Amino acid sequence: MLWIALHLPRLSFESWLAVLPPDQREQPAALMGARDVLLSNASAQGLGVRPGLRRATALALAPHLRLGRADAVRDGQALTSVAHVALAFTPSVCFAPPSVAPAAGRTGHAGTDPGVTPRTVLLQVQSSLRCFGGQSALIRRLRAAWAPLECTVRLASAPTAQGAAVLAQLVEGDTDELHCADLRSLERRLDAAPVRLLGLSPEHEEALEGMGLSTLGALRRLPGPGLARRFGAGLLDALARAYGERPDPSPAWITLPDVFEVRLELQARADTTDQVLHGARLLIEPLLAWTRAHQARVRRFTLFMHHEPRHRQDAGMPSVTELTIALAEPSCDAAHLSVLLRERLAHLLLPAPTLELRLHCADLARGSPFSTELFTSARGEREGQVRLIERLQARLGTQQVQRLAPETDQRTGRHGVPERAVAQAASAPRPVWVLPEPQPLPVRQSRPLLDGQPLQLLCGPERVESGWWNVPRTERDYFIAQTPEGALVWLCRARLPLSVAEAAQGWFVCGWFA
Amino acid sequence: MTLFPAEIPESLRSVLWRGDQMERSVDPAFPSGFALLDAQLPGGGWPRRVLTELLLPHPGVGEIRLLSPCLTATQRQGRLLMLFDPPVSLSAQALTLLGFDVAQLLIVNTRARVIPGSDSLWAFEQALKSGHVGALVAWLPPRLRADRLRRLQLAAQAHDGPAFVFRELAAQERPTAAPLRLALRAGGADRLRVHVLKRRGPPLEAPLMLTLQPVLSDVLRASAWQRQQSARDVRLPVQEHITCHHPTEGHAARAPAAAVPLPAATFISLV
Repeated sequence: MLWIALHLPRLSFESWLAVLPPDQREQPAALMGARDVLLSNASAQGLGVRPGLRRATALALAPHLRLGRADAVRDGQALTSVAHVALAFTPSVCFAPPSVAPAAGRTGHAGTDPGVTPRTVLLQVQSSLRCFGGQSALIRRLRAAWAPLECTVRLASAPTAQGAAVLAQLVEGDTDELHCADLRSLERRLDAAPVRLLGLSPEHEEALEGMGLSTLGALRRLPGPGLARRFGAGLLDALARAYGERPDPSPAWITLPDVFEVRLELQARADTTDQVLHGARLLIEPLLAWTRAHQARVRRFTLFMHHEPRHRQDAGMPSVTELTIALAEPSCDAAHLSVLLRERLAHLLLPAPTLELRLHCADLARGSPFSTELFTSARGEREGQVRLIERLQARLGTQQVQRLAPETDQRTGRHGVPERAVAQAASAPRPVWVLPEPQPLPVRQSRPLLDGQPLQLLCGPERVESGWWNVPRTERDYFIAQTPEGALVWLCRARLPLSVAEAAQGWFVCGWFA
Repeated sequence: MTLFPAEIPESLRSVLWRGDQMERSVDPAFPSGFALLDAQLPGGGWPRRVLTELLLPHPGVGEIRLLSPCLTATQRQGRLLMLFDPPVSLSAQALTLLGFDVAQLLIVNTRARVIPGSDSLWAFEQALKSGHVGALVAWLPPRLRADRLRRLQLAAQAHDGPAFVFRELAAQERPTAAPLRLALRAGGADRLRVHVLKRRGPPLEAPLMLTLQPVLSDVLRASAWQRQQSARDVRLPVQEHITCHHPTEGHAARAPAAAVPLPAATFISLV
């Protein structure tokens, strides 16, 4: 068994920072615990705001410090997104710690705070290694897959789940990784690991510290029965599972929901569609992580914008604006989806400022995945064309991008010119440019004039009649004429002798041969 | 030692050329289908990755038939053809007769409604930039600013295919960012007079006379040329007899139009 652990040390802070407008993210900001600073960003650290400072001290150092608080729902969504990313690589994904929580419960200590969300995602990848071409190739793809989520992830792999979870917390840098291929090397690593990484309750941690036990190795050297009497059997269990001495019960695997639904509370009310768009973009990546875990592509999704309730109740003002985006060609390209969102949002008139966003998606297209080839091919070009057409339609309107349809009836009634399907119609010359309505021409000395110049008739008449069922009935003779410079024009006039059906006399221009 | 050597080194020939020589393009050009025209275009055809500017006095001088060999060849490779803002509606039947595949043809109307904060060239620019379209033809609005055209020309570098823009004839007074500029005028029935106004090569004074894919039959075309010539010479109406090119079978026997006495100046007698 090979487990990969993904640990997110800055999860709460980063999920809060992401909601801030991009220009405010670089300004000093810190995540607050109950009383003191838990984490701070680079510019806050530049001002001396370190983790562990009291709130008042931090504000004295940096008066413009932006303070945020962890939000369990927000953190849960962010962690679920990482789990969805992992689900694209293996079906066996769970949250850590899988074994310590029951241990804490058994000893009667409500040690693990129920409000604290887990920060580690565990993947059992043994069965996927061959499919993805080995461990290093799999990890490379995994890194690329979570990169758009913009969170700090520490990665470690080990033969046991608990061991991998502990190792991932030992990793220092973003690009560092800890890999233990067998139990012996894992044992060496774990022996040096601090006790707190096992995820014990604070009381246990304090007691162990008081006993002078700082590492897992020191803890393990103590006699087992004594430890079990003092700290409960759960601690021994957790320890034995981490070292692979006891089999791990099957953890609660994460199942992929069929419907994707994620909410985002905006930090400030969004008055412009740009601000809404910024928030909506944050929801696109989680959507795509879920989509890729399904091995599918998005066909349709809906963005709900929850508006600020007003004191004055406007009758008819909706509290939610709904924007549904349906794609002609299913896609899992974040850039494409956000371009579509931008074009559609730009046309939307919001009745009130937006406080909260909700993204809903239940319509997926399963099938062959999106091609990511290097060289252009007919298939890639067709996909590009579809995306181009969608973009044009999103801005210009669906009606403005058209295709010509040859009429099976050979009767182009829409030009106001009923064309009788005579035997030689297929070979009869037709102009490329057809006027929607025939334009009357002035006549001098019985010759039609176009732009003040007389036309010479070259060919005609070609008689075209409408069907007897068409009302009004038209019978016209068509001619080809040339202008003095030589351009060819398509003319018509009412059938001679003037039929009763046609009231208009004289010459008309119907089109140009281009 | 002269500043400019007589012969440009071979390594520079793709980026540098003398004014009296034709540019040798790196990208192969698209044959225009007219040997006379190909001989005068740098690279031997319509260039790719740049705009080709065509100036027209009015629609309907034969511009579609000039481009049809190149555009239909692009369509036969399975690539898409997009037309932006054609001046009037197009006849699918006529295009099919010219060899176009209407299923591989998209028409985009960008000026149907005014969109704040964007211009009508946005769509054309996006299509050029995407690089996924086989060939593009756009009818640009009159009196277009030079910087707009320059932007389109930059966007065209991503477009691996021919791109044509039609503009009014008056635009020849102003410089253009497009490296190739032609003026088209009708030169008689089924003929087109092409002035090469700008190209990467020596200037060409004399217009080219191209024979287009015929609308008229050979006999009719010959008589049309003759009559155009005589009308130019004499400037007097000359009565001639024209046989009906396509007599409608059901009505030809009755020939009702022939029964009507036609005024002398209409030049036709219908059979």
